[in-house]
Amino acid sequence: MSILNPLAVKQSLRLLNHEVRRGELTIIFLAIVLAVATVFSLSGFSSQIKRALVEQSSSFIAADKVLVSSRAVDENVLVQSAKHNLSSAQQILMSSMVFAPSDDPNNSPMLLASLTATTELYPLRGELLVSLTKKQIADDNAQLVHAPKSGEIWVDKKLTRRLNVKLGDLLEIGVRQFKIAGVIKQLPDASFSLFTSGPKIILNFKDIYATELIQPGSRLSYKYLFAGKNADIEKFSDWLTPQVNETQRWYDIKSRQNALAKTLTKAEKYLSLASMLGIILAAVAVAVAARRYSQRHQTSVAVFKAMGASITYIKQLYLLHWALLSLVSIFVGVVCGYLIQLIGLAVMVDYLPNANNGDLFYPLVLSVITGLLCAIAFAIVPLTQLIQTSPLAVIRPIVNTKLTLFSWQHIPALLALLVLLLLFSQDWQLSIALLVGGVIIVSVLILLSRLVMNAGRSVGSKAGQALQLAIANLKRRANENSVQLVSFTIAIQLLLLLLVVRNELLTDWQSQLPDNTANRFLINISQPQVTKVNAFVQTNNIHASVIYPVVLGRLSAVNNEKLNNDATKDEVKPADNGRRGIGRELSLTWRNELPNQNKIVNGKWWLNSDTKPQVSIEQGIAKRLNVKLGDTLTFHLGSEIFDVEVTSVRTVNWQSMQPNFYMIFNQQVLQDYPATYIASLFVSEANMAEFNKFIVHYPTITVLDVDAMINQLRSVIKQVSIAIQFILILVILAGSLVLIAQVQATMEERQRDLAILRTLGAKGKLLRNSVLYEFVALGFIAGFLASAAMEVAVYILQTRVFDMTASFHLKFWLLGMGAGGLFVGLMGLLSCWRLLTKTALHRHVV
Amino acid sequence: MNITVETLLKVTQLTKTVKVEHKKLTILQPIDLEVKAAETLAIVGSSGSGKTTLLSLLAGLDLPSSGQVYLKNQPLHQFNEEQRSEIRAKHVGFIFQQFLLINSLTALENVMLPAELANKSDAKALALQLLEDVGLSDRSDHFPSQLSGGEQQRVAIARAFIAKPDVLFADEPTGNLDSKTGEHIADLLFNLNKQFGTTLILVTHDQKLAARCQRQIEMEAGHLISNISTLANSVEINKSSNAKVI
Repeated sequence: MSILNPLAVKQSLRLLNHEVRRGELTIIFLAIVLAVATVFSLSGFSSQIKRALVEQSSSFIAADKVLVSSRAVDENVLVQSAKHNLSSAQQILMSSMVFAPSDDPNNSPMLLASLTATTELYPLRGELLVSLTKKQIADDNAQLVHAPKSGEIWVDKKLTRRLNVKLGDLLEIGVRQFKIAGVIKQLPDASFSLFTSGPKIILNFKDIYATELIQPGSRLSYKYLFAGKNADIEKFSDWLTPQVNETQRWYDIKSRQNALAKTLTKAEKYLSLASMLGIILAAVAVAVAARRYSQRHQTSVAVFKAMGASITYIKQLYLLHWALLSLVSIFVGVVCGYLIQLIGLAVMVDYLPNANNGDLFYPLVLSVITGLLCAIAFAIVPLTQLIQTSPLAVIRPIVNTKLTLFSWQHIPALLALLVLLLLFSQDWQLSIALLVGGVIIVSVLILLSRLVMNAGRSVGSKAGQALQLAIANLKRRANENSVQLVSFTIAIQLLLLLLVVRNELLTDWQSQLPDNTANRFLINISQPQVTKVNAFVQTNNIHASVIYPVVLGRLSAVNNEKLNNDATKDEVKPADNGRRGIGRELSLTWRNELPNQNKIVNGKWWLNSDTKPQVSIEQGIAKRLNVKLGDTLTFHLGSEIFDVEVTSVRTVNWQSMQPNFYMIFNQQVLQDYPATYIASLFVSEANMAEFNKFIVHYPTITVLDVDAMINQLRSVIKQVSIAIQFILILVILAGSLVLIAQVQATMEERQRDLAILRTLGAKGKLLRNSVLYEFVALGFIAGFLASAAMEVAVYILQTRVFDMTASFHLKFWLLGMGAGGLFVGLMGLLSCWRLLTKTALHRHVV
Repeated sequence: MNITVETLLKVTQLTKTVKVEHKKLTILQPIDLEVKAAETLAIVGSSGSGKTTLLSLLAGLDLPSSGQVYLKNQPLHQFNEEQRSEIRAKHVGFIFQQFLLINSLTALENVMLPAELANKSDAKALALQLLEDVGLSDRSDHFPSQLSGGEQQRVAIARAFIAKPDVLFADEPTGNLDSKTGEHIADLLFNLNKQFGTTLILVTHDQKLAARCQRQIEMEAGHLISNISTLANSVEINKSSNAKVI
């Protein structure tokens, strides 16, 4: 196209101006606005939510990323992290006996404590709360702090009880004495390990060397914490990851094997999926509206051509018209998207204090590209057809080419959709899977919908007059209707899909943390105490796990092949030859029955009568150690050594708040070894006082309080749920627009038909009912097909993407059909209402 | 081909065949016809007789299967869509049964359209004048949906005359109107036609309307079966045509 013809420009603007004012372009305008706004707000919002959630959850590890090593790492790691604009903190963790100085130096109270020496910036994420005054301790108050001053320490409350020390007292660690300057109330990264040794002491990083505890061969770990902007963290991670060796761990909150990490991963997947489905829906709305746009303008093009307008002129006129419309819509879409994001974040500010507006560039670029792609790719075929309209159309009725199932016409739209999905997800596999799955579903739907349309006739022959008319109409417009039906179906299906998956996720999360989730773990219960604990649990009707015996032991060989790690120096030596071991003592237990939430995936659980020594191994560790069914494992328990055969492999729900074990033996193997016992209980508010009274009598029992952790997890789940609701609303809007666009698409033809029927004397009520029945039937059928398609999609998603068990959803079938019929029926009636009034009809037939 | 100065339109051995479900269907048998400048011609015949097809070929909206169409000495049958558009812009005006105004343009803008397409600088003034001529000067900023059928057709007539076409094709111009409005429209059409000295070719069922033309030709099953001069200045019938004189 050469230079723009000024007349075409003028005419374009004139048409645009009038059509916008007369509301003729509302649907196409809304479709593009929605596509752009959806992408803008979803890409902005969901990435904000993800970032805020991860950031908030990162407080669980007190950083964005953590490097743990058994040796100090090269100085260059810290230099590089600074270069990447990251803040960092360093810690040395070790266990040591600590002494409370007393008058009798030979009889000082002592305790094995776990020491954390930390640099000033710790924690980088989350809050470290310490009571620094006697009053704060008395009021159970605390303040936000970082590392203690040199010469001072903060200690666990347990330690003050066990050593009978208080604020201001001295404590001897190694060769140095430290003043107790605070009592720890909350640690952001309190490790949830049942077997950590001793109460926590935090001291200043510099002081650890002064204690002279670090000697060659000391068992300690170095922890490096990093935090910063996402992009910086990623760049730094790219640099560091290749250098991380087998004795080091480089992780973030999501790579942790815990409930929170899984919740976050699932939430992220859901948000991405919802956003992608939202984009597909918005794109379908644009495609439907573009087709209607083209059909509406055909007569005008024919008139222009009959009047002698050249092809070039028509091209300029309509391309300009379309381009202006698209650009304005894209602009409005961006503004709306930004506003939606602002509103969303404002609504969620209480739930997501870390969310902010963040980077607007990415959503802006992505949404503008979406708008352009939609405007070009979905309109190119209808616009080409529009421009090619024959001038003959002024005297002969236009027969629109039918939408065929397999046609080159769909290629630009499909390609555009693929590009959009790719841009958004940056995941080839998922995008192609969604697209191919979508094409298959649509093809099946078109065939099905034609079958359903054809089946309509025999049903209708005996029905009432309006119903008969409705069915006749459905049949006559079978082609248009099957297109319409397919779009209804897709819209309803995607909405159902999101609803179902959302419900499943929420239920899944909630079942992870039921109301009676254990909030106290009792460790180190001695044999004689077991009956006392059992009695207490029964008297107070407390929900408790089974009490498990625990024997510490070391796995030393598999099939007589010695594992290459010496247990005490496990993490120091790289595994360069032979089998790799676990490298630490394991908590072993024995049981006659398979524990709750454990599932045998290979082999068989033993019978009580079975006297042969057997072990059941957890699947993950079996994989790591390359242990298979029938292998012989050799264990060292103190000075004793025994062999045992692996007779089953189990999966364990590590997210369940109950004692879980890698190795479970049958009774014969372990019953004669001295054991301590462990149990988890749910102590309600009402029982708490009673519980505290009980536990005071047994100072040797260690109580692990996981209330804070559970509450944090609950709040994350709540936030994720709210975020998901919000995005669901956006997607529902997109889906509704598809339905409206599709209902509107057949209005012209309906207008003609209704006018003719009215002229033939059909009563208003008959026409209204026939329109209503026709749309209700369409919506109902679409709801039915959508439910079936949803069930297939949910099955695939549950089993492949979300790692959940599949289920059937009758409730949503009813919802799909009911809501489909109701919504489509109502929209149809509303859209036709104007046509159904006498004056409008009259005007048309005059 | 020799065409005299007064001959505006000449058609020889014109046929049109279309394919319907793998079968060829001949809609127009060979037709010969000549129309002089400023002549008024009515094409009559029953539905499906081929009147509208003939009109579409004469106006260059469609191409014949064989034969020739010369409009103002221009061989339309040899022209592509683009060239025919140019001819239509210069020489042809239309009035349709369905009025076919552009819904999103006002009455004034609809009338201006052909003048603008023909690059006339005074399109607006001309359009206003014509709207006044058809009695709609006070409705110029109304959209078609705000006008009655008769009013819409009056706008269409104004639109047809604005570019001062050499020939005006009217397809059932009163077909969608009640008889009284139809008569009024016909008056308007013939008056303006006279005023502008335009050649008028109209397709109609309406005998009264046809009778107002200088000549009528009757079509039946794709044949031109009669050629009647209703007024004194009759037109010579091409002997080679299979039309017969009544």
